[in-house]
Amino acid sequence: MHQSSEPARFKLSQIWVYLALILLAIIVILPLEWIFASSFTNRETVFKNVLPFTLKALWPTEPTLSAYRAIFDEGFGRAIVNTLGVAITTVIGCLVVGTTAGFAFARFDFRFKGLLWTLVLLSLMVPYEATVIPAYTMINNLGWTNTWQALIVPALANGTVIFLFRQFFAEIPQDFLDAARLDGATWPRVMTTIVLPLSLPVIVTSSVLVFLSQWNAFFWPMLVAPDPNFRMVQVAVSIIGVRQQLTYWDMLFAASTIAAVVPLLLVLPLQKYYISSIMGSGVKG
Amino acid sequence: MSRREGLTPYLFLLPAMLLILVWRYIPIIAGLRESFYSNAFSFTGAKEFVGWDNYRYLFDDPTYWESVRVTLKFNAIVNVLQVALSLGLALLINQKVRGIGFFRTLLLLPIAISINVAALAWGLALDPTYGLVNGILERLHLPTQPFLLSADQALWVLIGIVSWIGVPYWALFFLAGLQNIPQEIHEAARIDGANPWQGFFHITFPLLSRTTTFVLVATTVANFTMFAPPYLLTNGGPSGATNLIMFDAWKRGFTYGDLGASAASITVFLGVLIIVVAAEFLVFRPQHD
Repeated sequence: MHQSSEPARFKLSQIWVYLALILLAIIVILPLEWIFASSFTNRETVFKNVLPFTLKALWPTEPTLSAYRAIFDEGFGRAIVNTLGVAITTVIGCLVVGTTAGFAFARFDFRFKGLLWTLVLLSLMVPYEATVIPAYTMINNLGWTNTWQALIVPALANGTVIFLFRQFFAEIPQDFLDAARLDGATWPRVMTTIVLPLSLPVIVTSSVLVFLSQWNAFFWPMLVAPDPNFRMVQVAVSIIGVRQQLTYWDMLFAASTIAAVVPLLLVLPLQKYYISSIMGSGVKG
Repeated sequence: MSRREGLTPYLFLLPAMLLILVWRYIPIIAGLRESFYSNAFSFTGAKEFVGWDNYRYLFDDPTYWESVRVTLKFNAIVNVLQVALSLGLALLINQKVRGIGFFRTLLLLPIAISINVAALAWGLALDPTYGLVNGILERLHLPTQPFLLSADQALWVLIGIVSWIGVPYWALFFLAGLQNIPQEIHEAARIDGANPWQGFFHITFPLLSRTTTFVLVATTVANFTMFAPPYLLTNGGPSGATNLIMFDAWKRGFTYGDLGASAASITVFLGVLIIVVAAEFLVFRPQHD
């Protein structure tokens, strides 16, 4: 980002900068690379190059997909499909809820606007973990345990997405909207034909944010959807992790690799969007 | 700018406000209420108002106080550590050196990974018998470590694991703050003969005070509510050394079926968290607005 041409800046000596960068890169990469490499290794030889450590532990000498076959036999594919379905549905729902609410807060004047906006902002500050147990009781009372709506509906209450859309919509020139309104377009029509096509950056940002929050969700799905038919990826990983530790490490390596690779593949090309969404939700708020 | 449009704004807001009220606010009230009632899972199945009984029961339980102590110790260390390290990381990846874009991408990678995958990955790497880290220590002829199996080391291991994700994540906010500081300010200080350390302490750091306060408060909330690492790796042990309060509350509710004590614990916890966050805001109130 922001490459400026001036080299001047309070600079540490460059060698120290590179030493620090390389050291930190090792701390970041080493566990990821080890798990990635081990996931392609036989169950029998998975520790051969770890104890004692040789660099071969970081690259499989005889790559095999046996661990991946084993986790797919245990229903990991089902968990991936479930998670993709839940995440994509949640993204669409959050976009509908976020664009309408964001537009109302940005462009309309109405009674109780200040109060309602404060409720949205305050909801961002309540740690979700602290409301998980009573929310779980509500799911129970609704009879929603082990249903798709238990995984999707509460996740639609996403104040961050509303906030991002409100900030973006406030910047759209009024003339654009006036012209369409004078032509007799209804507000929903103005939204779909004028506002949304302009909003691609914030749509991408919000989608990545919501998709990742569902892909990485663990505590909530574990509580409300423990049934294998509704199992989500992170829960599946933790079940392999907790139940089969020490026996089937290769499976845990393979499951962790998939759980980590999907967000990385999504975030790497869209890093700019993801980072701006994180920063937009915090610094300006 | 804004227009009066009759019912339209309310229709636009209805789904969002309904969802936020039902799923963000009602659970807080429901939890508060639950803490004053007997357990739903009791033999009669009926709930009765029990006043402060759940709180009294909780406060008489030494396990609870041990969990409070561990949570406070964990937070006293991890929040300060994450603020300092994330500021350091942001300063580092804001350096204009060749190849910095590559390192920036690489060092920010952990933010995409979930806390439970990170916990499992490091849990494996730090396994005393089969783990990568002890393998490397052995190769270097250094003594191997028990890590999560040791009551003295386990909390520190957890601090390291949550920081592996937390530090790059919070560094993003500092990076944004750093890039908002006009270049001329640094130039002026340099021309006046300030060395880099003076420049940092007298200019950069004060100008980042808003970001610093935000990150401190946000790390506090994130780390006080930490749940996955003890759940996945330690089950709160060894001997309660990693029994963080959210995990303790979860265990009370779901393993022991004591939803009343669980709700009481979370109510107290939310109250304390509000006080801590308010104190942080007061003490570290941004001087520049």
